[in-house]
Amino acid sequence: MSTSLVVPLHVAYIRALGDSKNELSYHLSAHLRMNAVYWGLTALLVMGHKDALDRDEMIDFVMSCWDEEAGAFGAHPDHDAHLLSTLSAIQILLMQNALNRVDVDRVVKFILSLQQPSGIFAGDAFGETDTRFLYCAVNALSLLGKLDELDVEKTVAYIRRCKNFDGGFGAVAGAESHAAQVFVCVAALAILDRLDEVDQPTLCWWLSERQLPNGGLNGRPEKLEDVCYSFWVLSALSILGKLTWIDSSKLEAFILSAQDTESGGIADRPGDMPDVFHTLFGLAGLSLLGYPALVDLDPVYCMPASIIENLGLRKGWKALQRRTS
Amino acid sequence: MSIEQHNVKRSRQTPEALAEKKQREKSKIDEFLALTDDVLSRKKKRDWSNDAFELTQRLLQINPEFYTVWNYRRNILLNGIFPESTPEQINNILSNELSMTTTALKANPKVYWIWNHRRWCLENGPDGPERDGVPSMEWRQANWDKELFVAERMLDADARNFLAWNYRRYVLANMPTRRSETSELAYTSRKIGANFSNFSAWHQRSKTLVGLWESGQLDPIQSRDDEFELVSNALYTDPDDQSAWIYHRWLIGSGENKGQLEREIQLIFELLQEQPDSKCKRLWCMESLVHYKRLLLQNHSPGSQTLKQECVELLSRLADLDPVRYVRYQDLKRDLDQ
Ligand SMILES: [Zn+2]
Repeated sequence: MSTSLVVPLHVAYIRALGDSKNELSYHLSAHLRMNAVYWGLTALLVMGHKDALDRDEMIDFVMSCWDEEAGAFGAHPDHDAHLLSTLSAIQILLMQNALNRVDVDRVVKFILSLQQPSGIFAGDAFGETDTRFLYCAVNALSLLGKLDELDVEKTVAYIRRCKNFDGGFGAVAGAESHAAQVFVCVAALAILDRLDEVDQPTLCWWLSERQLPNGGLNGRPEKLEDVCYSFWVLSALSILGKLTWIDSSKLEAFILSAQDTESGGIADRPGDMPDVFHTLFGLAGLSLLGYPALVDLDPVYCMPASIIENLGLRKGWKALQRRTS
Repeated sequence: MSIEQHNVKRSRQTPEALAEKKQREKSKIDEFLALTDDVLSRKKKRDWSNDAFELTQRLLQINPEFYTVWNYRRNILLNGIFPESTPEQINNILSNELSMTTTALKANPKVYWIWNHRRWCLENGPDGPERDGVPSMEWRQANWDKELFVAERMLDADARNFLAWNYRRYVLANMPTRRSETSELAYTSRKIGANFSNFSAWHQRSKTLVGLWESGQLDPIQSRDDEFELVSNALYTDPDDQSAWIYHRWLIGSGENKGQLEREIQLIFELLQEQPDSKCKRLWCMESLVHYKRLLLQNHSPGSQTLKQECVELLSRLADLDPVRYVRYQDLKRDLDQ
């Protein structure tokens, strides 16, 4: 078990992600490629190693995923446009200072076309609905400076229907509270300046009960801890100003123990295979906890805080003070 | 390497073993990529043929997460196959789709796209054959009834699978002939009886009860008392866990009923006096006592110094016993002083 963050190994791990084309699993995850690039790039930025991946190559990849018919981005060249990959593409281009490459009008049209009469968003034209997609839509519109085109009341009304008695939120109206859905709903409400919709004492109680004796966080009562919940739970607590309601040093130790200290990367829990998804959300958690030498991360947008500040989009979240050692 | 994975143990492989694995995978990769190229180029050419339909099936069996191919498959049905088919044939095709995805779900119960494809099949099927010149709902009815059964089997395999629960609620809300909420209540009783820690079932129960109370099918007062009995039973017999406690908190709600609050406070106090071995149980006893006494204070006895003092003492003990949430207990204490 390691007690410190092995930054050089994680950087090398992310750099090597594109080199595994001789592994079947690489090809079987093509439907997540755009997300993976966003996860990898954001992780590098949090570690202060933006240049570890080639900028031009990355922008070319993003643009090669443009779905001309739909007017948005797919996860991979020739894959259909989807809200998940469209948000990731916008985030990548913004972090690479290349947002001018986006046909904003068409993307906005695509996003707005996916809002259902109830206020929730579908992920694509075939219509699976989920509050995750609602968050993608709100986040993307906000980054593009087009929130004024959204029917905010309708959107908030749907989130309200997803609120449960435990203060949490589910994937659709009637669904059980789940930390990942809590993050998307709370972050969407934060972007829309509607945090008054949250039952804060109850939700913060529920969120702080996610911490288990081993320091890790779970996503629902009576489930196992998992590094990705470090972000889903922490981001919501940070947005609501209650990061101190869990034990940060125990959580930090848990995240660090899930590192692969031989080959880099962070896993869902100690001893498991790492992946870029858990690597980002582990690092994001550590950043919010004030881990030394990391870059500040904005928990609402899950991007470097300075970028969000420059856009004038910073909300009133609070992270723990960054420690010097 | 995978992009996102859970519960996969890390194993160190020798360079030789790794090279061997890559060699073995090479032909699989070639086959997968060739099939992908074939399918995606047919998609570009708007090939709505049966051949293309078969190919999407092969590809989705290898990779059920390939959402673009699910979309293409539906487009082939809509643009190529349905226009050439009778309603009966369409119904048969969609029944096949449902069977195929049942198999896929058993292997991949957490793949959203598979659940989503089932929804689409259910929503896009014809209603039923004509009987004596009158349209019937036979096919639709049969498909949706079967669907509830599938959701149930998936919850038998994993009683906390939230995709299966969400799907169950979707089916219940959209079946041509609705099932009664009373039978859903009975379903949650069975699930909870099998395992008190199944919070998903407690959650479903809370939603179902609200429906029953609002529609007047159950008397809210009597039914709430029955629920208190059920949950107390759970609190006494088993839970080393949070599920029943969270449900109990839902039953109390905002604590308008003073008698109920006092009765439950007394009951939890007695449970705590029994000195349960489990730390978790002790914590939840105290945590709940604080919450309910605060409700009593706010709603029924504003200014009671005794209640306030009791809360402060409990919070001090909680802070000692559960240092992880120390700041929360301190914050609550501070709130009491204001
Ligand atoms: Zn995870």
